[in-house]
Amino acid sequence: MFVPGLGRGYLIIREREVIRESKLSLEKQTWGVNVVRECVEQIKDGMLGAGYICDDRTATILYLAEALQKPLLVEGPAGVGKTGIAQAFSRMKAVPLVRLQCYEGLDESKALYEWNYKRQLLHIQAVANRQADTHQVEQEIFSEQYLLRRPLLQAISSPTPTVLLIDEIDKVDFEFEAMLLELLSEFQMTIPEMGTIKASNIPYVFLTSNATRELSEALKRRCLYLYLDYPGIALEEQILRLKVPGISELLAEKVAAVAHRIRQVELKKPPSIAESIDWASALLQLGLDDLDADTTLETLNVFIKHREDMEKLERTIRSRQDLSFQTPPVTGYR
Amino acid sequence: MSFLQVLQDFFEDLRREGVPVTPSQAADCCRALLLVDWTMEDYFYTSLYTTLVKEYGHQAAFKSVYRRHFQPGSRGEMSRQERPGAPDRVRRPIENTSTYAGDALPVHGMQSLRGGLSQGRRNPLDQPFSLASLDDVRKMETLFPVIAKRLAARMIKKNRKNDRCAIDYRSTMRQSMSTGGVLLNVVTFQKKKEKPVIVALCDISGSVMTFSCFALALLASMQRFFRQLRTFAFIEEVDEITHLLRAGDPLTLRTSVLKNARRVMGARGYTNYGATFKGFIERYGNILSHKTSVLIFGDARNNWFNDETWALEEIKKKAKKVYWFNPEPEISWSSGDSRMLEYIRHCHKYFSCPSLSELERAIGQL
Ligand SMILES: Nc1ncnc2c1ncn2[C@@H]1O[C@H](COP(=O)(O)OP(=O)(O)OP(=O)(O)O)[C@@H](O)[C@H]1O
Ligand SMILES: [Mg+2]
Repeated sequence: MFVPGLGRGYLIIREREVIRESKLSLEKQTWGVNVVRECVEQIKDGMLGAGYICDDRTATILYLAEALQKPLLVEGPAGVGKTGIAQAFSRMKAVPLVRLQCYEGLDESKALYEWNYKRQLLHIQAVANRQADTHQVEQEIFSEQYLLRRPLLQAISSPTPTVLLIDEIDKVDFEFEAMLLELLSEFQMTIPEMGTIKASNIPYVFLTSNATRELSEALKRRCLYLYLDYPGIALEEQILRLKVPGISELLAEKVAAVAHRIRQVELKKPPSIAESIDWASALLQLGLDDLDADTTLETLNVFIKHREDMEKLERTIRSRQDLSFQTPPVTGYR
Repeated sequence: MSFLQVLQDFFEDLRREGVPVTPSQAADCCRALLLVDWTMEDYFYTSLYTTLVKEYGHQAAFKSVYRRHFQPGSRGEMSRQERPGAPDRVRRPIENTSTYAGDALPVHGMQSLRGGLSQGRRNPLDQPFSLASLDDVRKMETLFPVIAKRLAARMIKKNRKNDRCAIDYRSTMRQSMSTGGVLLNVVTFQKKKEKPVIVALCDISGSVMTFSCFALALLASMQRFFRQLRTFAFIEEVDEITHLLRAGDPLTLRTSVLKNARRVMGARGYTNYGATFKGFIERYGNILSHKTSVLIFGDARNNWFNDETWALEEIKKKAKKVYWFNPEPEISWSSGDSRMLEYIRHCHKYFSCPSLSELERAIGQL
């Protein structure tokens, strides 16, 4: 039921072959621990230099995505640094970032390329008077000059490597996804009037998704996967200290801890990292260096955007006069 | 046991738990292992994770299968002394296999569903809701996303048909006036995107306990595909629960709804369809439009309360379509306190769906 279109027998035989091939080399594997660890550490350092803190797991996955030349699909709740990871990666590699922001109704003319019809028409108007050869005019108007390069074409035709960020892919429809799929497997595209363009440098591809819709199996199969969750206290503390210059160790620690606990409360919209950064900056601006129940109540509106959530938290804090939020933790996708 | 065999068994087990691992993923997994030192458990785990898991919903299954295969007794780290030598270093409790794959514990997932069929047992998909237990819900958990996806694909395809947009000559000509009659812009009619707008009303009372567990789980899965799906629960009163279905495990949805949407219990906690329809029209009537399909899940057993059929008629008038899914077989619709025969006069279509397969078929017909 879950293996579309393939009999299980076939699957197993294929898999045996595939694994057997790799197995030979697995036995011959010569990589030392240190080589890999060094690569992973380098990525962590590099990302840190670019303003993004990776844990070991994330860094390992970035390393694998690069080594396998595979797109990386990053999923997770809003504001946990999905977009940020691609941006930082491009800074680390010092290559340009090409970003395709997806939205409902995005089509090929906005994502791949489009002919500049207006200029083409004007050109035709201009030559209409002098009896030009139609064939020649056609060649003229379907040339580089009249081509509007959209992000995907930009990334593929770039003479240097790029980071291609396809942001919020879950917003586009199935058809567009199918087109992307083809592009991501071949890294080439055809413009009927100009011919086929093949990428001279395979871009580093990042796709992000808020999982509002399930993506097609085929697309998911092409990608490596990274699920970014809300960070642990220690990681968030590090992020705060990186992103809010001047913050004291104590305040960063407190904000991270409170943020962590607030996320355990069942809220409509749990606060993201972006919001805890805002909150910490606001506290710093106010000259505060510590966090207690009162200051939290006063500044909660920076941190919590949903009115109902705010009321719920206020009630919890008021009734206890502390910040322990002793509600049972919720599990699952928030 | 060779490394090949160890990995293959692992893949097989993942599939059994509903994580679809394709050959190309298996190959990626091996390629990834080549690139790291997989005798380090961190690297080993991460390589398997990133190549085999492709969605959030599969993470839990992946973790538990992983633990079973590679962390017997959850001792965690592989010991360092075992490092040099054959690739069997990544250890697995081969000797213990039978304790979990054998007869002692039930094997979950689709495999067991199909296995059940061939052994002449009833396919759980066809098992009447009235006989199903919570354990059956658990077994079918992995099926909900699959069913939801199938339904979504079907509905979206249906909507594609009238997706073409034609050229709006009149506006095109009018626009060209400003450019001296040159057609700079071709104006097309606005692309009509008929996305299904769905409102679901689900009876979560005790008389339809298992049925409502299934319905809620299915609706929760469907919410992931249709952003315009709003779900309401009712017993004596009606309340919106769309946000509650976003979180949590399908198994406990009904309990969490009962806990968090207290309003549905009303004053006495007896199922009251009349009050529900009336309350719905009063409080949420404005969300209905000619685009909305209303799905009602319930047994129409009204505890001899007032029918308020006018309220259902009102809903029918405001919405595009009203469908009713009743878990009881049609013969019992006329018995006892069931008001089904009254209510179906105010529905466009109604279905008797005593089992999950019939429920899926019914929803698929919409
Ligand atoms: N690990 C991290 N290190 C440094 N900064 C981080 C990290 N994670 C998140 N941030 C910061 O959090 C903020 C939000 O991140 P970002 O916009 O990338 O989130 P997102 O997941 O793309 O959100 P959305 O789903 O809303 O698009 C950014 O300012 C980013 O710099
Ligand atoms: Mg983003």
